[in-house]
Amino acid sequence: MSVIKLIDALNIVKTAPRQEARALNVFLVCGFTPLHMQTFLTAHLQLRSPDRSVQVQTGLYGDIAGNLERAAEAGPDAIALVLEWPDFDPRLGIRAAVSRTPSLEELQDSISRKANLIQHVIETRLPNTTIAVSLPTIAARTNVAQPCWLTTGLEMALTRRIADFKTWALGHRSIRVLSSQRLDTLSPSNTRSDVRSEMTAGFPYQLHHASVVADLLSRLIRPPLAKKGLITDLDDTLWSGIVGEVGDEGISWSLERNSHTHALYQQQLRTLAGAGAFVAVASKNDPDVVQQAFRRSDLLLDANQMFPVEVSWGPKSEAVRRILQAWNVGPDSVVFVDDSPMELAEVQSAFPEIECLPFPKNDPQACIELFDQLRDLFGKNAISAEDTLRVESIRAPALLTKEFLEDCEAEITFSEIKDPSDSRPLELVNKTNQFNLNGRRFTETEWRDYLADPASKLLVAGYKDKYGQLGRIAVAGSRADGGSVSVDFWVMSCRAFSRRIEHQCLRRLFSTAGAGEIHFDFTPTQRNGPLQEFFTGLLDRAPQGRFGLSGDAFERKCPQLFHTMKELL
Amino acid sequence: MNDLEERLADCFQAALPGIARSELRNASMKSTPGWDSVVTITLLSLIEESFGVQTQAADIEKLTSFESMRDYLAQGAAHASR
Repeated sequence: MSVIKLIDALNIVKTAPRQEARALNVFLVCGFTPLHMQTFLTAHLQLRSPDRSVQVQTGLYGDIAGNLERAAEAGPDAIALVLEWPDFDPRLGIRAAVSRTPSLEELQDSISRKANLIQHVIETRLPNTTIAVSLPTIAARTNVAQPCWLTTGLEMALTRRIADFKTWALGHRSIRVLSSQRLDTLSPSNTRSDVRSEMTAGFPYQLHHASVVADLLSRLIRPPLAKKGLITDLDDTLWSGIVGEVGDEGISWSLERNSHTHALYQQQLRTLAGAGAFVAVASKNDPDVVQQAFRRSDLLLDANQMFPVEVSWGPKSEAVRRILQAWNVGPDSVVFVDDSPMELAEVQSAFPEIECLPFPKNDPQACIELFDQLRDLFGKNAISAEDTLRVESIRAPALLTKEFLEDCEAEITFSEIKDPSDSRPLELVNKTNQFNLNGRRFTETEWRDYLADPASKLLVAGYKDKYGQLGRIAVAGSRADGGSVSVDFWVMSCRAFSRRIEHQCLRRLFSTAGAGEIHFDFTPTQRNGPLQEFFTGLLDRAPQGRFGLSGDAFERKCPQLFHTMKELL
Repeated sequence: MNDLEERLADCFQAALPGIARSELRNASMKSTPGWDSVVTITLLSLIEESFGVQTQAADIEKLTSFESMRDYLAQGAAHASR
């Protein structure tokens, strides 16, 4: 987590990208004076979106529902909704002093009415806008006679109301609620409130708390790209002990043998693999000994979930290189975990982009922190069907000859359905680097707008063959452009390379375009070499800027294709 | 500028990016375009963050120029060193 100081936040805002950069418009909806929260939110969003010009708009003091309406009018890419108890009833805040203490029923009724109003405005006016919500972080000022150590009826009612609000929010795909558990860790409850600032300026937060809340909200609005693969060591990492010395019965991962953190690590890797992350092994060991250990029935991670398993006495960086090749992913998408500082340093020096994390085998507390860190690095808001297919797909043969392709019973399914609630196409567009026409990324709101445009067409391709399914692995967005068709973006997962799926996609685009020529909105990026190679083969020259390709030219260069085609209606 | 003035100047440049560093010594709420109450609160927050001091509510009205803030911090440092 990154907590930045106010002076740094102001300087980040000051040196934001040039005006011509694509805008990221966020509306900060809060009932207090936005002041430093606006600064911190802008700065954190800017750090997460270096290619965008971030603008954070705000509304009026004390008018949450009205500010939501204003946000709806402004049509931002996302909303940061920061609620505190005075937004539900001013009498729960420090700035209100009343001559009559309201009854519990009165307060409950008032809070419910306000919560219902907020929910109503969101449902009717902002049903599809991405909303990151921070629920009250500062304790309500409850003017009751009981001592502070006693839970009161009002406190119970407030807790229940927040639980109801969270339950409602979790039922809406576009609403994400900030984790109060994570907030408690980063900003303890007794260091959040700044009473003097709230009384003098209407800003209730200490600077550190404001920075933490803004950081977490920015993560909900612009989630970091999840890592794709984890490479783990075995001895004293996946299990306790050196298997080459103590044998497969001598290694352990249990409470009884004081090695339970290794069991928790195995459990964590199983969860990551189940959610689509690649897990591989790089170990200096005897392969036969490791195979024997993998046969232990009490291993909490299925040995099949780890691929490739690189066991040798060579340098770990070489094993890592082979694993990256098998996965076909870049080092910046990978995490390497090992208990040995020397091995970590050796891999780090060969692959500076890999995130190398020590396994703190003698420090259970640090192990738990490592597991939370892995959850953050690999976590996704939603798991798609394709995530569960990914590991199987990389086991398929790597060398795909013409004979092999002819014999593998490949089937491509095309769909032109524009469904904003389907997260897979956007996920592909936003995380694919290598076969990517221009590196264009979308916010969820921009994506919905693109799909809502009657002129836009979306082509999604899925693939399977007799070796298994890849799921949906390619997406192209296009629109009619006078007499021709323009492709605005086109991506294909690296798992789908060498199967000529890209050729079939292009043939499909030509067949439905009704135009002899297609224009491609190409931009070279640091990572889209494979796409450039593909077009260089078709054009007999490297693609440059926006370029056109005729159907005839494509067919002259297109190799033989063996796929069966299906249309998803 | 001495060290205190340099650090104060950093705060001013973050809160009032339009002013040249050479003009900061003469900056005041009256004479500087864009210096409103929000800028004052931002400046006080920056000073608290940078210098680890806690300004008093009663002092806020007096802290309306670079000079007054510099003197306020210098006095605070003098008190602290006693």
